[in-house]
Amino acid sequence: MGIILLGINHRSAPLSIRERLSISCGEGGEPFEELRKIPRVEEVLYLSTCNRVEVLANMRDPAAGVEELKSFITAHGNLSPGEMQRCLYLYRDEGAVRHLFRVASSLDSMVMGEPQILGQVKDAYRICVKQKTSGVILNKLLHHAFRVAKRVRTETAIANNAVSVSYAAVELAKKIFGTLEGKRVLLVGAGEMAELAARHLMDSGVGRMLFANRTYENAVRLANDFDGLPVEFELLGEKLGDVDIVISSTGSPEYVISADMVEAALRRRKNRLLFLIDVAVPRDIDPAAEQIDNVYLYNIDDLQGVVDRNTQTRRREAQKAEAIIDEEVAKFSGWHATLDVVPTIVDLKGKAEQIVRRELEKSHAWMKTLGEDERKNIEILVNSVVNKILHDPVVGLKKESRDGGADPYVAAVKRLFRLK
Amino acid sequence: MMEMLFFRFALGAYLLSTAGYVASLFAGRVRVARASTWVLALAFVLHTVHIAIQWSGGASVPSANIYTSLSFIAWAVAGLYLIFQTRTKTRVLGAFVSPVVVVMTVAASAGMTGGDPFPSALRGPLVSIHIVLLLIGGALFVLACLAGIMYLMQDRLIREKRVRGFSRLLPSLQDLDRINHLCTIWGFPLLTFGIIAGSVWARTVWGSDWHWDPKQVFTAVAWFLYAVVVHQRIAIGWKGRKAAVLSIIAFAGLVFAFIGVNAFFVTMHRF
Repeated sequence: MGIILLGINHRSAPLSIRERLSISCGEGGEPFEELRKIPRVEEVLYLSTCNRVEVLANMRDPAAGVEELKSFITAHGNLSPGEMQRCLYLYRDEGAVRHLFRVASSLDSMVMGEPQILGQVKDAYRICVKQKTSGVILNKLLHHAFRVAKRVRTETAIANNAVSVSYAAVELAKKIFGTLEGKRVLLVGAGEMAELAARHLMDSGVGRMLFANRTYENAVRLANDFDGLPVEFELLGEKLGDVDIVISSTGSPEYVISADMVEAALRRRKNRLLFLIDVAVPRDIDPAAEQIDNVYLYNIDDLQGVVDRNTQTRRREAQKAEAIIDEEVAKFSGWHATLDVVPTIVDLKGKAEQIVRRELEKSHAWMKTLGEDERKNIEILVNSVVNKILHDPVVGLKKESRDGGADPYVAAVKRLFRLK
Repeated sequence: MMEMLFFRFALGAYLLSTAGYVASLFAGRVRVARASTWVLALAFVLHTVHIAIQWSGGASVPSANIYTSLSFIAWAVAGLYLIFQTRTKTRVLGAFVSPVVVVMTVAASAGMTGGDPFPSALRGPLVSIHIVLLLIGGALFVLACLAGIMYLMQDRLIREKRVRGFSRLLPSLQDLDRINHLCTIWGFPLLTFGIIAGSVWARTVWGSDWHWDPKQVFTAVAWFLYAVVVHQRIAIGWKGRKAAVLSIIAFAGLVFAFIGVNAFFVTMHRF
C-alpha cells in the first residue's frame, strides 16, 4: 500500500517527551512544510494533540523512505536511539489504516470514547488539505475514518456513560431534575473535585451558585471565580432550603450537614427534591439523610461505583467497536487494492481509444460523403462496441485485485495487448 | 359496520405502536420510539373517527356500557399522552401508556357490538355530562398512576445507586412528578363534577341522590383518596414519592369502583 503511520502517544511516551515533540514541531502549516520536503513522501498528514503526535504518510518505496520520516520525529523530540526504540510506534498499510480508524473513533484515547479527538483529526485534515499535502489516498482514507468514527458512535454505547466522578454527578442531577436550568447549587468547602463538578454543572446551565466555607475569604474568592454568592458558614442549614444541589468537600473531621438539618430544610422547601453530593473523606453529610424522602445522597464511593461500572460498559462496547473497525479496514483495503490495477486499466482503455481514433481517420475519405448525423452515429457505434468488449475484462481485473490475486491477470493483459 | 372497521384498524395500530415502543426500550433507539409515536397518533385518529361515527349515529352519550367506556378511556389516554408528548421530552412514557391503551382496547373489543341502544329513560344531558367527565377524569388518573409507577421505579433505582440500564431510559424524577401532579390536579375536578352531575340526575329520577349503591360507595372512597392527594399536594406541599404512592392507591380504588364492584355486588348503575 505504501501507507505509513508513525508517532508517539500517551501510552508509549511520557508527557515530557510528548510536549517537547509537539512544541518543537510547531503548529498549523509548519510541520507540513518540513514533511513534504522528505523524499518519496507523496501525501502526508500531521496530527498533534495533548496525548499524541502522529504522522500519516503515503510513500513511494516506503521501505527506503521511512527512516527519514522517523528522523523528523527523533530530531524534533531530541530523542536518543533508546528513547526512540521505546516511544515511537510504526504501523504500515492495514496496520496504519486500523490505527487511524481507532484514533478517530476514540478507542485509542486516554479516556476511551471522549468526543474531542474526532474534531482534532478533522482539524488536522483541514490543515492538510489547505497545505495541499493530501491526494487520492489520504482523502479517501480520512473521509473513511470520519465515517467509521460516526458508525462507532451510533452503533455502540461507547460514549454513553460518564467516566469521571464530576461528570457522573452532573448526569445524576439530570436524572433527578431533568433540566438543570435555573437550579441552585451550593458548594460547601473547596476541593478540586467539587470545583470540577461545579464547573460541569455550570456548563449544563444551572442558575445561581452559592459558596460556603469555614474561612469566609475562601468563599468570597470562589464566588468571584464562578460569578456566584458567598454564604456565611453558620447559615448553611438555612441555605439548604434554597438550593437544589449541594456539593460538599470540606476537610472537617465530623459531619457538616446533619440529617436533622436536611429534614428541616426539606420542610422549608416544601419537599422539593434535593440532591446531596458528598465528595469529602471523611464524610461531610450524615448518611442518615439518605433515608429522608425526596433526598438523594451520593458519596464519593457511590459516584466512583457509577464510574467504574460505566468504564466496564465502555470496555465491552469497545469490543463491538473493534469489530466495526475490522470490517471497515477490510473495505478500505479492498478499495486500495483496486488501485494497483488502475494503471493497467487506463493503458488498456487508452490503447483502445487510440485504435478507434486511428481507424476513424483512415476512413475519413469515404465518410466525407456521409451526412453529419450519419458520421456521428458511426462514431458512437464504434465506441460503444469497443467499450462493451472492454467492460468485462476491466470489471474482472478490479474483482481479482480485491481478492488479492490480480498480478497474473495484469501480466497477461499487458502481454496480450502489448501494453508497457 | 363501518365504524367497527375503524375500531379494528385503530386496535391494530395501537398494537403496532406498543410493539415499537417496547422494541425501542430494548434496543435503546429513539428513532423507533419516534416512529411509534406517529403510529400511536394514527391509531388515535382512527379511534376518533370510530367514536365520532358512533356518537353521531344516535347515541346521545359516548358510552352505553362498560366496553364502550373502556374504549373511550383508552382513546382519552392516548390523546392526553400525545398532548404531553408534544409538550415534554418524556417519550418513554409511551412505552408504559401504549400497552395500557392496548389492554383497554382489547377488553373493549370483547363486547363491542356497535349497536347497544341506550334506554331512553337514561338519556339526557346530565347523564352525558356524568359519563364524559368521569371517563376523561379516569383517563387522567390512568396517566397519573403510570407516571407514579415510573416515579417509584426511578426513585428506587437512584436510591440503590443503580443508575445505568433501565434508569437511563426512564424520564427524570421531576418530569414524572410534574406529570403525576398535573394529571391528578386536573382529574380531580372532573371526577368531582362527574359525581355531582350523576347525583343531581339521580335525585330527579330515583328521588334521592345517595342510595348506598356499592358503586357510589366505592367511588366516594376513591374520591376521598384523591381529595387527600390533592390537598397534600397543594396545601401541605407533598411531592415525589409519597404523592406517587397515594395516587397509585387512589387509582386502585377507582378501578375497583369502576370494574371490580360489578363482580362482587349488585349495583343499580347500568355499568
